[in-house]
Amino acid sequence: MENALKVIDLWKKFRIPHEKRQTIIQSIATSLQLLGKNRYTYEEFWALKGVDFSIRSRESMGIIGENGSGKSTLLKIIAKILRPDKGSVQTNGTTASILELGVGFHGELTVKENVRVYGAIMGLRSRNVKDRMDSILDFAGIARFRDAKLKNLSSGMQMRLAFSVAIETNPDIFLVDEALAVGDLDFQKKCMDKFREFKNMGKTIVLVTHGLNLVKEFCEHAVLLSKGEMIRYGPTGDVIAEYENRVQSASIR
Amino acid sequence: MMIVLWLVFAVFIGSSARNYPVFILPTLLVWRYFTVSTTSALWSVIGNSSLVTRVYFPRWLLVLSSNLANLLGSSLEFAVLFPLLILLGMKVQWTILLVPVLLAVEFILIMGISLLISPLNVRYRDMAQVWDITLQVGFYFSPILFDVTVIPQRYVPVFFLNPLAGLLVAIRQILYYNSLPSSTYLLLTAIAGGVLLLAGSLVFRQFEPRLAEEV
Repeated sequence: MENALKVIDLWKKFRIPHEKRQTIIQSIATSLQLLGKNRYTYEEFWALKGVDFSIRSRESMGIIGENGSGKSTLLKIIAKILRPDKGSVQTNGTTASILELGVGFHGELTVKENVRVYGAIMGLRSRNVKDRMDSILDFAGIARFRDAKLKNLSSGMQMRLAFSVAIETNPDIFLVDEALAVGDLDFQKKCMDKFREFKNMGKTIVLVTHGLNLVKEFCEHAVLLSKGEMIRYGPTGDVIAEYENRVQSASIR
Repeated sequence: MMIVLWLVFAVFIGSSARNYPVFILPTLLVWRYFTVSTTSALWSVIGNSSLVTRVYFPRWLLVLSSNLANLLGSSLEFAVLFPLLILLGMKVQWTILLVPVLLAVEFILIMGISLLISPLNVRYRDMAQVWDITLQVGFYFSPILFDVTVIPQRYVPVFFLNPLAGLLVAIRQILYYNSLPSSTYLLLTAIAGGVLLLAGSLVFRQFEPRLAEEV
């Protein structure tokens, strides 16, 4: 079966400099001091160490692991925001990422204008945004406030709006980072229904979350990361069991 | 600012140039366009860090959008300048049609420099100070308040290493002396613009992969 997404031997390193050199003056001064010696010392921190998995089309993937295990880094690489030091990501189809909601929102603009700006950032054509404006505002449940300034909306309303725009992008692959838990119960239910709908349409969802129940519901397979290493990759039930085991044995020790 | 410069140079010192406002206003605007554009482009990547770290798109679009916004602003400034110059006694000739061409060349120049300095500002945060001083020095080393003719002949080639010098001379030729600008200087400026644009794109490409981490 064809792959929707293939992650091949992904390595990502961040630098933790020993000596902070952020200015040209410092840079010149220290290069003179250290002339001939090792000029730029830093510690390497590997956020991902050889992560390797694939997602078959029409299937979804959950990425779980403790804080700092590399989940978000992995998602950012898949979304092309960060570049890996080694390895590659192959995607089959269009992707949209909800890493953080409301990127590019501007409080002084009206709700409708923000929908247009955010739509452009998420990769929607302006014509499509215009056509779907009503359905976006309806889904967010703030059709009444279409001409109000965004800053006058409650933060929950803003998040709902952002989410509504994001799901309108209608991609083949959805990258979601902890973004599902926005809004009140009613809105969360609406989002779940939407995601179920996506799933039934055969779209792929890559879900980074601590909500294991979500992973159980949506994902056939899961990946367990710990300190950048891929501990387990396989059917969701097994991976979650392994995760729970690890957490328990850690708390006993 | 313009009034201060006019007072100092025309009234107090008594510049030899007749109709001093028409002498300095066009060059001042060309210079202003340059400083405002490059300075705001300098911050275009850092200022949009929330976008850079969260969405993927070609990063140089940030620089382009900043520069286009300033091109629009400066075009409007020039549109206002013309009636003023005519009021001050400038003769209107067909050569003023060359002014948009000059602005286009300047845009290329600005784009090149912006691509060069904006990623540097991400890694080295005092790039802004360095650029600020460069601009202040550049103001007095550019033929804005004076003519190139006051420069001793043997320093003239060095003087024209300043990529803006050719443009400033050209706009004064057109609007003050009502003659065609020397094509060699213009060509040199255009070449400088091309080279800077190339260098800028290369530097930007070098920095682009890490921008999201460093911003």
